[in-house]
Amino acid sequence: MAVGADAQITDLTADDHACLTFGEPEELSDLTAAFVRDGLASGLKVLWVSDSAPQRATAELARRGIAVESALAAGQLTATECEGRLLYGQEFDAGRAMDWLTSQMAACQQEGFPGLRVAVDMSWALRPVTGVEQLPDFEESVAAALADTTVSVLCQYDREGFDPVTLATVSAFHTRSVAAATYYADAMLRICRQYAPPGIRLAGEIDYQHAEHLALALTEAIRFEGDITVTMTALRFIDGSCARMIVDAARGLAPSRTVVLHCHPGIAATFELLGAGDMTGISLVGTHDR
Amino acid sequence: MTDNSRRRPRPGVNMTAGHGEPPALDQAFDGDSLYALRAAVAAHGSQAGLSEGRTRDLVLAVHELAANAVRHGAGQGRLRLWAAQDAVHCEVTDEGTPGEADAARWQAEPGHGLWLVRRIADSASVQSGASGTVAAVIFRRVRS
Repeated sequence: MAVGADAQITDLTADDHACLTFGEPEELSDLTAAFVRDGLASGLKVLWVSDSAPQRATAELARRGIAVESALAAGQLTATECEGRLLYGQEFDAGRAMDWLTSQMAACQQEGFPGLRVAVDMSWALRPVTGVEQLPDFEESVAAALADTTVSVLCQYDREGFDPVTLATVSAFHTRSVAAATYYADAMLRICRQYAPPGIRLAGEIDYQHAEHLALALTEAIRFEGDITVTMTALRFIDGSCARMIVDAARGLAPSRTVVLHCHPGIAATFELLGAGDMTGISLVGTHDR
Repeated sequence: MTDNSRRRPRPGVNMTAGHGEPPALDQAFDGDSLYALRAAVAAHGSQAGLSEGRTRDLVLAVHELAANAVRHGAGQGRLRLWAAQDAVHCEVTDEGTPGEADAARWQAEPGHGLWLVRRIADSASVQSGASGTVAAVIFRRVRS
């Protein structure tokens, strides 16, 4: 991978121009939700230029516990699509896109917000768009425009979609690179931290051979306050020892805290065998096979 | 040690003979090939007519028995699966040194491997002999 991560999404500060690389839609939604959540909590104005329809983007944020309705109503949160902001008739012009960004920075100041957070999904650049070769120019201009301001921009790149050369070129114009903290990743299994809601995410197949990675991920998740969400919607298999480790972690928590398990019926069945279905401190939330 | 052994023919040295026909699946495994083992068992369980849920149970049961052989036994073993008319029969053979250690190796502590296997299989048995330990499970097509 050409771009290594040097920061956590929750570490970003005022004038950061951060390059987020993500591997799956779930990871993008999670990290964006954390960026939005922390921005709103600091009283900043937040703008998300998503690749999906704005309604879908805000619904995803709401699903992750963000008070979307009130933030939208107060004008503190805006979700838009790239057409009319970065693209005009599927054409990209670095100068025009910068004009849009600087106008947003000025508007934010006029509205009295102490700062602005902008998240931009760059997936549009993977489609046949005229002027896409100006992307590095745009990123360089963004870097210059943000210096010594209270505006941070999070550019989101799909690391499977963009070639390593493009990623390396654009990442040079960013102050930080951001990715989900990964405890383990290979072709069969991925164990990541989840940021919004806080917890961990497991994808693929897990058994006792990766118990130590799971243990580390759980230990770190437990260190934070509040409930812990374990997202296993992309997990195909979990063995008894790993399921038991998660159940035991839940048992060891203070009574005020809950471990929320999101999984398909097949995975839920293993947890139910261990008695998780009616254990206090565990909430088993089923999702249906897609 | 014997457990529930009356429910099925005793596995002898020549287990193929006990089932009257060659297994539909005969696969060696070690710690690096449990994934492939699970995939093969899932395919055979589903093909044998087990429901989606029972196929998942079968995969979990075989995995737990195989993992037991890898972790606490010889470090490797062999799975044989027969698709009979009314049920899927599986035998997991651990060719580790048999003896006193077997009792501890195949313990059925609540929540642990063999305990899970007994919860989900229609029949489960473990036998130790001179050639190692054989764990057998049966998953019926229609659960009684």
